Amino acid sequence: MTAIIEVKDLVKVYNGSIRAVDGITFDVAEGEVFGFLGPNGAGKTTTIAVLTTLLQKTSGECKVCDIDVSKHPTEVRRSIGLVPQEMTVDDDLTGRENMILQATLYGVDMKVAKERITELLALVKLEEAADRMVKTYSGGMRKRLELSEGLIHRPRVLFLDEPTLGLDIQTRTTMWDHIRDLRKNSNMTVFMTTHYLEEADSLCDRIGIIDKGKIMALDTPIKLKESLGGDVISLKISGEMDFTEPIKSVEGVLSVKKEDGSYRVKVFNGETVTAPLLQEISKRGGSVTYVSLERPNMDQVFLEYTGRSLRDAEQSGSFDRMAAARQMRRSS
Amino acid sequence: MIRETTALMVRELKHWYRAKVQIFMLLIQPIVWLGLFGQALPLKLPPAMLNGAPDYMSYMSVGMLAVTALFTCMFAGMSVVWDRRFGFLNKLRAAPIPRGSIPVSRILAAMIRAVISALMVLLIALIFTHIPGLAGLTVTSNFDILSGLGMILILVLLATAFAAIFVAIALTIKTQETLFAVINLLNLPLMFASAALFPINSMPDWLQAVAKVNPLTLAVDGMRQLLFAGSIGIYPLWVDILGLLTFSVVLVIIGIVVAMRALKEK
Repeated sequence: MTAIIEVKDLVKVYNGSIRAVDGITFDVAEGEVFGFLGPNGAGKTTTIAVLTTLLQKTSGECKVCDIDVSKHPTEVRRSIGLVPQEMTVDDDLTGRENMILQATLYGVDMKVAKERITELLALVKLEEAADRMVKTYSGGMRKRLELSEGLIHRPRVLFLDEPTLGLDIQTRTTMWDHIRDLRKNSNMTVFMTTHYLEEADSLCDRIGIIDKGKIMALDTPIKLKESLGGDVISLKISGEMDFTEPIKSVEGVLSVKKEDGSYRVKVFNGETVTAPLLQEISKRGGSVTYVSLERPNMDQVFLEYTGRSLRDAEQSGSFDRMAAARQMRRSS
Repeated sequence: MIRETTALMVRELKHWYRAKVQIFMLLIQPIVWLGLFGQALPLKLPPAMLNGAPDYMSYMSVGMLAVTALFTCMFAGMSVVWDRRFGFLNKLRAAPIPRGSIPVSRILAAMIRAVISALMVLLIALIFTHIPGLAGLTVTSNFDILSGLGMILILVLLATAFAAIFVAIALTIKTQETLFAVINLLNLPLMFASAALFPINSMPDWLQAVAKVNPLTLAVDGMRQLLFAGSIGIYPLWVDILGLLTFSVVLVIIGIVVAMRALKEK
């Protein structure tokens, strides 16, 4: 695996005091879908802005495609695509005109561009709307146009900043499909940020959990979930008898908690432990009326590594203010 | 450089001709000025006072051309602010294009819009003369192709200078409200401290001094010499053109330098 994005001790300080990115180090391998997961204001967009040459870092080292981002920004710009958080497609041009403009800006030969535009518009299912003004598009259509714009010059790395922010569930799923298709059909590296847990979980090969400008954890979604220490089997057993001890005796059971007639059993591997556990209970004369297996989700992972749930982090006012301050800086 | 600049310029021009209301509003203004202001303020001044113009309306019509160019360039600034707001500017900053193409494309687009608008006002003023009850521009010189080209050259230089100022200001100033304030602060003095609407010899000395170095004055002075027979300019025609050329070259250079600094990553 060769690293296509290399970040070492990256720090970005705004206004001399707000440490938006506070010394992060990570590598992204070629062909990987890498995700930054964190609440608003965690430093995700700032990291993208530095990597896409829009922002000067305070200190640290950043390389994209083996090129130093601050030393040779134009070379970096040529090999990357950016789909920003805001809708930046031009309302007063048609979808196709937007694509042609983008192709020109990225120096794509017009003949090649025309073919690719047809191809890309078909990919994001906009061929019928291609010659309509973008102002008549829905939010999802704009975002899809934005995505296809980012692909016009076949970048080696595609940066997606909150690709599904503000989209409805159905459109979000379509966007996910597009991103999955990209991955399947090319060796393009995708670096994305999101604050949707399910998005990170279902799309990314590896996830960096970022909070307050620091990476709290970085691994594959499966490993991150495993690191929480196992699955939970919930059981309901009829009758008054206490089955705590028999349950504990089953191999693989880590702990048992009993509340009235229901048990929460923490086990190492839910799939292999469930059957022996049920057998043991029926052997002791218990009859199980309800069973469910819960695997840890990204929400629990986030909670584990940052000490707060993602929703809490989103709601904390000071973070929103900082995020707003950053947003203002960013747009300047 | 040329390819990207042209593409961006074409985008600006497409915005413009697709925004029919904007063009309409821009043209309605000089029509109102010519139609109402000229009627309400029937200045009876001898041609000698009016740069050789046969009447005040002819005098003011020429001023209107220059003022229209000024106002059109002002709008170029507004579109820069919108592009920043919608993230389009950041998209351009992330693209592998020479940064200079961003201000240059805007200056060119604004210049083209301004010249076209000014020529439309010229046409309106010429038509108004022939409508009974209205007053407009009466040409008294032997107007030939060379004078026509001279008019266009003057408008091009004037518009380039203003476009450069407003694009640079808009790239430096981040919010729409502040931009409005600054534009207003610039526009009105520029318009009134010039020979565009009123002869400058009736102005107090200090105002005359300001008006004499105002690019608007140079432009209207040059155009009047081309349009009116026996017009004695404030400056000779070649000085007007050379002055405008200097203004536009200097302002474009300043504009691009300022724009590049504003576009630099922080």
